[in-house]
Amino acid sequence: MAAQQQLGREHQGITLRGSAELVAEFFSYGINSILYQRGIYPPETFTRVQKYGLTLLVTTDPELANYLNNVTEQMKEWLYKCIVQRLVVVISSIESSEVLERWQFDIECDKTAKDDNGPREKSQKAIQDEIRSVIRQITATVTFLPLLESACAFDLLIYTDKDLAVPAKWEESGPQFIANSEEVRLRSFTTTIHKVNTTVAYKKDSVP
Amino acid sequence: MSQEDSHEWELSKENVQPLRQGRVMSSLHEALSQQDSSSHTAVQLKKQEFEAEIRFYSGDDPLDVWERYIRWTEQAFPGGGKDGNLAAVLERAVQALHGHQQYYKDPRYLNLWLKFGDCCNEPLDLYSYLHSQEIGTTLALLYITWAEALEARGSFRKADVIFQEGLQRKAEPLDKLQAHHKQFQARVSRQTLLALEESPDGDNIGLLEIAEPQRSSLADLKGRGKKKVKAPISRVGDAVKVMNPNRSCQPQASLQLPNAPSFAVFDENSVSGPEIPTLTAQSWPAPPVPRAKENELSAGPWNSGRRRPRSTVSSGLEVPHPVPSFTPYVDESAQPQMMTPCKIEPSINRVLSTRKPEEREDPLQRVQHQQQDAEAKKEMVMYCKEKVYAGVDEFSFEEIRAEIYRKKARKKDEDEIQAIEQKKEEIQRKIEELEKKLKKKEDNKQQQPHEQAAEVMAASTPLGMQGFTFSNAKEYGEKQPQSQSEFQVYEDTQLHKPSCSEDVGLLPPPAADPFFSIFDESSTLTNQNTSCSADRAHQKSACQPLAVRNPVDCLSAKESAAAAGACDELNGIERLSEDAIVTGSYKNKTLCANPEDTCDFNRAAHLASTPFHGVVAQRVPAPAFSQSELKEDSPESKSAALNQETPVGEEAYTEALSVKKLSPIMEASLEDTHSSGASVSGGSLSSVTQTSAIKYLQISEKLELAQSLPAEGVTDDDVAQFLWSPEKRKKLLDSLMSSLAASPDFHLEAGALPHMEVEKDIELGNETYCIKMEYWNDEEYKVFFAVPTGCIFQWDAKGFAIKVYSQPVPWDFYITLELQKRLNSDFDQSFSENCSCYLYQDGCAIVHKNTNCFTLRDILRDRKFITKEIIFLVVHDLLHVVEKLHKAEIVHGDLRPEVLFLGDRICDAFSNEEVPNALKVVDFSHSMDLRVLPRVSLPYNFPTAQTPHGQQLLAESSLPYQVDLVGIADIVHLLLFGDHIQVYQENSIWKTSQNLSKTPDSDFWSKLFERILNADGKSTVPLLRELREEISEMFDSSFKERLLLTLAAVGETFLLVNFQ
Repeated sequence: MAAQQQLGREHQGITLRGSAELVAEFFSYGINSILYQRGIYPPETFTRVQKYGLTLLVTTDPELANYLNNVTEQMKEWLYKCIVQRLVVVISSIESSEVLERWQFDIECDKTAKDDNGPREKSQKAIQDEIRSVIRQITATVTFLPLLESACAFDLLIYTDKDLAVPAKWEESGPQFIANSEEVRLRSFTTTIHKVNTTVAYKKDSVP
Repeated sequence: MSQEDSHEWELSKENVQPLRQGRVMSSLHEALSQQDSSSHTAVQLKKQEFEAEIRFYSGDDPLDVWERYIRWTEQAFPGGGKDGNLAAVLERAVQALHGHQQYYKDPRYLNLWLKFGDCCNEPLDLYSYLHSQEIGTTLALLYITWAEALEARGSFRKADVIFQEGLQRKAEPLDKLQAHHKQFQARVSRQTLLALEESPDGDNIGLLEIAEPQRSSLADLKGRGKKKVKAPISRVGDAVKVMNPNRSCQPQASLQLPNAPSFAVFDENSVSGPEIPTLTAQSWPAPPVPRAKENELSAGPWNSGRRRPRSTVSSGLEVPHPVPSFTPYVDESAQPQMMTPCKIEPSINRVLSTRKPEEREDPLQRVQHQQQDAEAKKEMVMYCKEKVYAGVDEFSFEEIRAEIYRKKARKKDEDEIQAIEQKKEEIQRKIEELEKKLKKKEDNKQQQPHEQAAEVMAASTPLGMQGFTFSNAKEYGEKQPQSQSEFQVYEDTQLHKPSCSEDVGLLPPPAADPFFSIFDESSTLTNQNTSCSADRAHQKSACQPLAVRNPVDCLSAKESAAAAGACDELNGIERLSEDAIVTGSYKNKTLCANPEDTCDFNRAAHLASTPFHGVVAQRVPAPAFSQSELKEDSPESKSAALNQETPVGEEAYTEALSVKKLSPIMEASLEDTHSSGASVSGGSLSSVTQTSAIKYLQISEKLELAQSLPAEGVTDDDVAQFLWSPEKRKKLLDSLMSSLAASPDFHLEAGALPHMEVEKDIELGNETYCIKMEYWNDEEYKVFFAVPTGCIFQWDAKGFAIKVYSQPVPWDFYITLELQKRLNSDFDQSFSENCSCYLYQDGCAIVHKNTNCFTLRDILRDRKFITKEIIFLVVHDLLHVVEKLHKAEIVHGDLRPEVLFLGDRICDAFSNEEVPNALKVVDFSHSMDLRVLPRVSLPYNFPTAQTPHGQQLLAESSLPYQVDLVGIADIVHLLLFGDHIQVYQENSIWKTSQNLSKTPDSDFWSKLFERILNADGKSTVPLLRELREEISEMFDSSFKERLLLTLAAVGETFLLVNFQ
């Protein structure tokens, strides 16, 4: 019965709500991965979970988990409304508050999905495969990203449509670009409703 | 597709080493995409470039090259390992920069070492070495890296000491060091806390105890018991206490027994603090002793014990050999070397092979050994070893030489640009110096140095002329210095090999003769100006044998010019390579002629033949003289007649001869005119100039009739020749003597003309002069430079130009007076404003005051002063002077660089623009007054008209004024290209055979030549004015500035002659 339901769901396609949930979930795991990979938080504060057919690391720090949950919930809402354009993870040095790395997730929303309620033709498995390859790439970026030598903090920026009222726990911010940066485009995935393009920018080596 | 490509890094992420500073995605892509393809050409080229740069770096920051090389290697070889050979590069860099004290505080140098440390087995040794050598001890990075390495090994205390040391030294950046120290302390304390939590006893701080029984170290573990072999459980540690709290003492005691070993076990943490790290500055004579090498078992063959299977067939009946009861002794050092044969090309480097045992495994040790070796070096390397082995790759000698050559070529270009800029500065500086020196000189007046200088001047003259003639076939500009230098080389070979002098050093034997003869003749040409025709005859004869041998010479003038250019290029290359050999520190190489080097030969051929092609190809109609008659007269003509292969050359030759051999006839005719003219002139002696001229002309007409019988068709020549003859001039002047005598500067002297020589005092009028040098001379007159006796002779000061005539005809004086009269206000410094005439019975001397001792020839002698600005200035003034002369209806007829004295504008280094004249004309030996003789139209007998180009350009019908235009054209050509003009006719337009397009301002010059050479029949004064005004328009303010600079340079050089 359950298997049948599963099978049915796979054939069913994806709705706007499901898409928003998937993408928000991806952000949650993606940010966790970045925080672990880039050593923003000590590795011992992470725990392993199986997701997307991969072993991912998720924070056990209650405060951080809470914060990320809030963001994910907020994102889910905005994704559902199709008013979010971009999510940026900014990694900056604590000492000099210089921006060292900038992970940018561009979100393309198909706003027509709000009107027609019918699900889109794309199986969850296919979407998860795409997400998996993005997460894998995030893990693999250590091959070219510079070593973060000083202690770093991270910041989340969310670009939304202009007419949105800023929620209570959020504030407006600048884009926090890196002055002389090298940009690498990672893979992208789409749920047919939301398309996410991932890019990472980092400080260029002074001598080419 | 591109999407796939751009994610290639992901596929080989395991093969990419992370870098501290990150990777550049583009180079990572490049490296990864090239990994598969066997051709790493771009990478190899880049590597080669770095290798070359390391060898030939001439700046003061060699570390920069190494640093870039290393950074590039890191990026280009993401896999690390042997491909990029990063370790080797680092090793070389460290070696190469060893002992460079200036880098010891340079973070880049420290970085280099630290990166090298990552390649070493024992980086800690390296860090303490750095510390002992004071390398990077002021930099925080050393302490941070060092402490991190120690921390990674668990030596927290040592790490802390290192941090303390850095803080104490105030290593920069200090805040970073402090931050790292704090973090380190935080980490350590956290771990300590964790340890404390787990072991409440807290005896062993820092050691994480595991709560399970441990065997005592170094205890006996032999099995005991008969049926069941058991190792004794002799456990120690906390767990024992915890586990057996209630047990009896007995087993406890037995357990305790082996717990007291008879020796002390070293406990790192119990050692007191200050002893731990040896941070005293130690010299580094010996490499560190290899540590951590206990219990190492060297690998041996595994199959040593195996027996060979016995073959049953062959040894069936034989008794098997007893197995020896001993093992044969094998020398320790005689280990068989295990080497996997490397079947695949070694460059691929993907096959694992055993390390060569003799290799010192630790690069640090290798570096140190090498340094020691270098210190104890006793042998001397006799080749450029440091260049061959400077980088990681080995360079061949050819590569090094090629690089030197390339560098030289590059440098040459740069130098030329730099030299110009430097010169400007130098000039400014020297001007100041000169001012001081001049003042000094005036103070202590000494005669001696001037005489020496005069000698120098005289001695240098022939050399200058040779260089000048040598450059005839060369192109204008940069080629000139080359030709001169080549000439010097050539001289050297002569000096070194006197026995070979007949073979002529650099030139192959076939070309030698013509080259030499031309060489001589042309220098004669410049020395004997008036005997021009004779010289030309010689030149023809010299040129001919070459024409016979070299059919190539029969090319048209254009082609040969192109060929000459090509040859010059070839020659340039040849010379350069020679240079490369010479400068490759192989100075013993003898410079000798390469018999296969035909370049010089070709060039010599052009040099000898090219100037006269124009003459051969486009000859003006030959004068109407009987050639056969002349041939018989001349001994040379026989050889020419023999030369049947070159009929054209022969013609030219006879033509030349005809000019020379003209004199007997002319003389004969002169005799006649002389006598008849004399009879008439007696009657009109007292008449005024104008009328006398008319009368004279009438007479000459009559003379024509009278002389028509003996000399056919020479009437026009006769009239012209009339002017050349001193006697005739005397007649003409006699008629004007009264007006000449009226001039206050005219002195009639009794007695004979005093003999004049250089360095002799002569008396003229009331003054005595000391003759300092001779400008030029010929049969009839000499021109000297003199100063008043008793005066200091200054090269830069003015003196007197004295012209001595062997005939009592003050022609120059007459022309000068006429000019003064006719030009009025236009008569300025371009002419002799202060000239006096001393007429003797057998000659006359004309003294021009305020004349500089240099002529235009002195400028031409040294091409480096002939700048664009000088040329414009000289040409401008030349046009101006000739314009004035023509306005006064006087034809100069003999415009040569020698007769053009330099005016104050050029000569006086301190003059300003207000001194307008760059040239001064005082010599009018061959001038013609057309107001007196308006009918003369044949310009042949002017010296200018007898030059090769003059013969071509001037037709019988040409106006006499045109003679001066030809003279101008020649001088302009000399200024531009350093050689005499050669012309050819194309569509009835005369053109110069030099390619003007290469010269600066080629538009103007081609226009000037076109107009001057094709001015037939037109009035010359407006033409000259137009051209002159066009030049004046170019004299903008920046031009003037540049001009002033060059003028200063020229003036300075002339003055420097004195100081040498």
